[in-house]
Amino acid sequence: MAECPVCGAEVPLSNDTVASELMECPDCGTELEVLDTDPLTLAEAPESEEDWGE
Amino acid sequence: MRVGFLYSLIRKEEKLLIDEFGKHSDVELVMLDDRKLIFDLQHRLDVDVVLERCINHSRAMHGLRILESTGVGCVNTAHVASICGDKLLTSLALHDHGVPQPELRVAFTEESALEAIEQLGYPVVLKPAVGSWGRLLSKVNDREAAESILEHKTILGSYHHSVFYMQKYIDKKGRDIRSFVVGDACVAAIYRTSEHWITNTARGAKATGCPVTDEIAEISLQAATAVGGGVLAVDLFETPHGLLVNEVNYTMEFRNSIATTGVNIPGKIVDYLVAPAR
Repeated sequence: MAECPVCGAEVPLSNDTVASELMECPDCGTELEVLDTDPLTLAEAPESEEDWGE
Repeated sequence: MRVGFLYSLIRKEEKLLIDEFGKHSDVELVMLDDRKLIFDLQHRLDVDVVLERCINHSRAMHGLRILESTGVGCVNTAHVASICGDKLLTSLALHDHGVPQPELRVAFTEESALEAIEQLGYPVVLKPAVGSWGRLLSKVNDREAAESILEHKTILGSYHHSVFYMQKYIDKKGRDIRSFVVGDACVAAIYRTSEHWITNTARGAKATGCPVTDEIAEISLQAATAVGGGVLAVDLFETPHGLLVNEVNYTMEFRNSIATTGVNIPGKIVDYLVAPAR
């Protein structure tokens, strides 16, 4: 578990969570990024930029 | 085998690819976060090949170019990224290879763009040459809308919005086709269906399985070859006169296309990357 930096809710993480992974807070819906796995640290995911895409 | 994994963020696609690499005991994955990389032009990364999965087009294109200049093979190549990242260059590549696409015009000023739109006839789709996920697309239904959108782009847009790329609107009956090309095979396809004229799944279109017909496979491989080949997603319009290629994407997203097609697309990508004969 890690704490959502926006609403403080507990965010469940799986065993294979990796750094830079995106996930959504189950409470507030904010898109989050895993900054580090040891210790588990979450931050708001970066905002979409103009040249983002596929 | 050491595989460099060039990425910006780990989305569902990247996670699936990492899982697939994990099934190859002889592959060591070297994670390359594009936000942390510092390139110098002499140092060659100690990897055998790099898989590019950046979200930023600019980082992908330039990162690949630098990696290639140091002798690292990349999938996709910098050339493919530069072509697919620019709709005008993609259209030129398709044209040069005789691949059918919607009629289009390119102009550099507000006045000439308006004239080009009138040449095509309404409706016209105005697109930024660089952009993705269906953002900033405009369906221009009449002259008044054309004048307004062109003025907005001229005054408010950044410099690359001054390259006006205009495409004849294709009435696609609420859906288009996305096919997935890995190497020399068209491995899967989906329909993307929406009540909105923009049928990107990033904009809420629904993905359903589409059989890979000979026609879909043939035009998809032609389009992939035209832009340089590799791992590509090809967007197709169905018309009474056959399929047309709308776009070719080089960092393809496939999260909605595995269950719908029954094809392990990330598995196909990883197999292609680690294949000895590639």
